[in-house]
Amino acid sequence: MRPISRSALRPHVCQTCRHGIGAGRRRFASQSGSPDLYDVVCVGGGPAGLGLMAALRASPITSKLRVALIETQDLTKAQAWNLEPTQYSNRVSSLTPSSVAFLRQIGAYDHLDVDRVQDYQDMQVWDGQTGSSISFDWSMETSPFEDPRTVATMTENANLVRALLRRIAQSGDENLSLFSNSTVASIETGSDLKPEGPDLSAWPVLSIKPTGPSESTPKRIAARLLVGADGINSPVRSFADISTHGWDYGRHGIVATLALGDLDIPPFPASKRTAYQRFLPALGGPIALLPLPNNHATLVWSTTPENAAYLKSLSTPSFLAMVNAAFRLEMTDLSYMMGMSSTSDISHQDELTWRTQHTALPSQVPPPATAVQEGTVASFPLRFRHAAQYVSPRVALVGDAAHVIHPLAGQGLNLGLADVASLSKTIQYAVSHGMDVGDLITLERYSSERYLPNAKIGGACDLLHKMYTVPGEGPVAWARSLGLGVVDRLPFVKSFLMKNAEGY
Amino acid sequence: MSVLGRRGALELRALTTNSKTSPTAIRSFSVLNRPAPNYPGHVPLTTIERGALAIGSALGSLVNPRRADLIAALGEATATPFFIYRLRDAMLSDPTGRRILRDRPRITSETLKMTHLRTLPENSVGRTYAKWLDREGVSPDTRDNVQYIDNEECAYVMQRYRECHDFYHAVTGLPIFVEGELALKALEFLNTLLPMTGLSLFAFVRMKPAEKERFLSLHLPWAIRSGLRSNELINVYWEEVLEKDVDELRAELNIERPPDLRDIRKMIRQQQKREKEQREQASG
Repeated sequence: MRPISRSALRPHVCQTCRHGIGAGRRRFASQSGSPDLYDVVCVGGGPAGLGLMAALRASPITSKLRVALIETQDLTKAQAWNLEPTQYSNRVSSLTPSSVAFLRQIGAYDHLDVDRVQDYQDMQVWDGQTGSSISFDWSMETSPFEDPRTVATMTENANLVRALLRRIAQSGDENLSLFSNSTVASIETGSDLKPEGPDLSAWPVLSIKPTGPSESTPKRIAARLLVGADGINSPVRSFADISTHGWDYGRHGIVATLALGDLDIPPFPASKRTAYQRFLPALGGPIALLPLPNNHATLVWSTTPENAAYLKSLSTPSFLAMVNAAFRLEMTDLSYMMGMSSTSDISHQDELTWRTQHTALPSQVPPPATAVQEGTVASFPLRFRHAAQYVSPRVALVGDAAHVIHPLAGQGLNLGLADVASLSKTIQYAVSHGMDVGDLITLERYSSERYLPNAKIGGACDLLHKMYTVPGEGPVAWARSLGLGVVDRLPFVKSFLMKNAEGY
Repeated sequence: MSVLGRRGALELRALTTNSKTSPTAIRSFSVLNRPAPNYPGHVPLTTIERGALAIGSALGSLVNPRRADLIAALGEATATPFFIYRLRDAMLSDPTGRRILRDRPRITSETLKMTHLRTLPENSVGRTYAKWLDREGVSPDTRDNVQYIDNEECAYVMQRYRECHDFYHAVTGLPIFVEGELALKALEFLNTLLPMTGLSLFAFVRMKPAEKERFLSLHLPWAIRSGLRSNELINVYWEEVLEKDVDELRAELNIERPPDLRDIRKMIRQQQKREKEQREQASG
């Protein structure tokens, strides 16, 4: 925790006494005048930061707070984001029903382009090594005559960000500052400006600088509450001197937008869509195909950096063959194909065609991918991080700044939105009870509500990753298949797990 | 039993082909209701039948080691569930092995013309193979077809192993009598992990004391040394290496050449003969 001399750590000492303690110790006085004061300053304009802004603006209790958001990228561009109806961004997230409920509650869901959003009602997960499988749907909770319940909703991050920006814009610009195209040049602890100005000791004071070459002097703002929604290398977290623990998985996630072949939609229930995930222990992680509208799908393939580099170097037909093979063929074939030289006379597609004839396919294989949308194949490193604490006096961390987890359950964004929901509720509580929104006692409510659930989900994903990267047949493969089989056959266990994953 | 059972199943199937929802379709696999073969010549077996076949063929081949059919049946009955898949995966992990599985070549006197093999250069693999066949008086056509392995690809792998067995003999120069066969089986066990090759080593009890001693001191250490070090023998595309130098191939596969058993026998016989003559001279 950053060293703070007094006030913030002793909230029970009254203003006058506190002032007496610090009298005569005036540091950095009147340094370029008094900064602009804000109630909540959020660094980072990703889904979490914008979600917090939208939530604060949406609630009548907090809509009068003076808030600011600082984002390096151009937010007007993000708000004007538009793609052809047949094109999809490769940065896609799955929203759990509780995230969707939160977005509806803050009025952002109405601004989402629903034609670009896809619900799915079933999730098929299976082990490529042992073939054991599990199906996640709500059939054990609903009657067969109802419409199947949604397991999760796929949306492009850009679509979500645009919806949140539109929601914020809808709330007007009173008491709102969006510092777009701006970076935080520095964050420092403020000083006591009495008697000319306010006592800002223990307040974070930020210098904001526009990106790009600019002569203008940095703008200084002070935050009653500084929220770090600024990602894995959070400057806010470093300012608050909060340590973070974790490790790199030594894996990369490959993403791509794919067009699928003939989709045999079952006649009943109508329009049921399925997400597919197959664990590939020999290749270092799972491959997942998540549905998008218009018979498209988004691919997330976690694998070793070498395999990721190999896959990215392949031609489009070979890449597609590898993706289709990864859902169909056995580990031996996949390991072999992962090293095939692109100059050999036998193509990846030939291998796939030949091996499919000799492989017993499970019933849950996804429709074949037939095309890759140009320029959507990309990869990113997979990491696990968890901040030692989420709050510090006048500072709160949300989203990736607080926790980064393995994407195998598609929970990262949902945890971030749950943080935001909890923090906005905490701020509402503080405002309606006349508390200081930046006070540690106020913020602890948020921290205690979110720390354990995030650790639980992050830990579960980490455990799954570790169990499903043990290659070959052995006690681990046996145990995980047994576990998967047990969960699949016990409806109450499955229902419990799904409710946990859903965030209820 | 199996013949009767198959006929019974055929009759049942013939009776019920008209209705697709016949109870035979859902009735479990039994002696009277055998599923359709997965490949020509396939005989589906239940677990009990497979176990009985394994025990019966093991005992039978121990009583009479010349019963190649029993040894073959033992090999098929014990190859599943794990071992033949391991061998197939070893082939699938290797470019040549994959090519073999794709092409599925068969080794018979039709596909490998002996007349052609005899014209190959001295010390080539093909010539060595032909010489070995001539010396041992065997033919590549004596190999049975695989029938008890359910997966058709694994059945081919077994077939391939069986047909390549003579090439292993030729490359190592081991003869077909029990002593040579056991030395080769020990090598194959460590190389292919097929249980039959390991079980065959029980035939050790049938050997004479002198043979046992020779086997333990000479050929078993050789088999262990070469077997543990060698590359997968199943991944050799024999049809393509016929013209290669046999010493070169042995070096590639990391296999040493064992002492020639026939030479050893010959020497021992000559020695015994000399001793006998000496004794006769001394007594006479």
